[in-house]
Amino acid sequence: MHWLLLHYKLPPDPSALRVAVWRKLKRLGAILFQDTVWVLPCTARTLEQFQWLAAEIVEMGGEATLWKSTPALPGGVETLAAQFQEQVEEGYRAIFAQLEQPEADLDALSRQYQQILQKDYFQSQLGQHMRQALLARRGENA
Amino acid sequence: MKWVTWENVGVDRMASAWLIRKFIDPQAEFIFVPIGQKPLPEGAESFDIPGVRYSHHRGHCTFYTLLKEYKLKDPTLAQIAQIVDEADVVQEAAVEPAAPGLDLICRGLRRASKDDWEALARGALVYDALYAELSAGNIPNEPNTQGD
Repeated sequence: MHWLLLHYKLPPDPSALRVAVWRKLKRLGAILFQDTVWVLPCTARTLEQFQWLAAEIVEMGGEATLWKSTPALPGGVETLAAQFQEQVEEGYRAIFAQLEQPEADLDALSRQYQQILQKDYFQSQLGQHMRQALLARRGENA
Repeated sequence: MKWVTWENVGVDRMASAWLIRKFIDPQAEFIFVPIGQKPLPEGAESFDIPGVRYSHHRGHCTFYTLLKEYKLKDPTLAQIAQIVDEADVVQEAAVEPAAPGLDLICRGLRRASKDDWEALARGALVYDALYAELSAGNIPNEPNTQGD
């Protein structure tokens, strides 16, 4: 499996641009590795997303390089995959906590679930449970 | 006119080709080149290729850029642009629920078609349908837009 590494520099001003790029990286579920490069597992979709984001950064007057790579040390893949997993599971756990409330807003929670699902690159088991739990709550508060 | 883009079309290129043929250049002829190929064929307008005029700008998709460059003011097209923006590139905030579904359908259309031309022809049906449905909702005297 391949990984995408995005490294970029943006001019310090306006800071709105930096925030915009950062928000997009978070939305994609990219992980900042060792405070230097943003990492995503390589899929047709993530590759396209990173290519356009890199083009956008350059258009804003920044610099961006995008690499497709494989870890050359044993264990590298597992460690990275675990970080991605932990990130989405944290999100799922937050939804579970809210779902336990009697007045849980199912509509809002299912939208949160869908957002996390888009970043669930390694098909977390917890995500599957989350889906079942949301569906099971239907009709309860009617 | 001839229009050139990268092969293996997706949501934005299907939308853009539909827009070009329907609202910009009815005689448009489409050419596809392998991703990253340079130079691009001469005498053809390029679109949805990084760095060209009709491409992504400021985080917006090519469809949006085409609307702007050709000054198309149709509110339904503006809404389709918002949907394609959200379907094609990650946005800071998303307000169109149709976007992820449209992305999936367009990817699937390409996968299920024998080539890019067939994918564009099928994609055009999807955008005709989207336009028809959205423009029905954009009519000012529809009851749901009149307010109380």
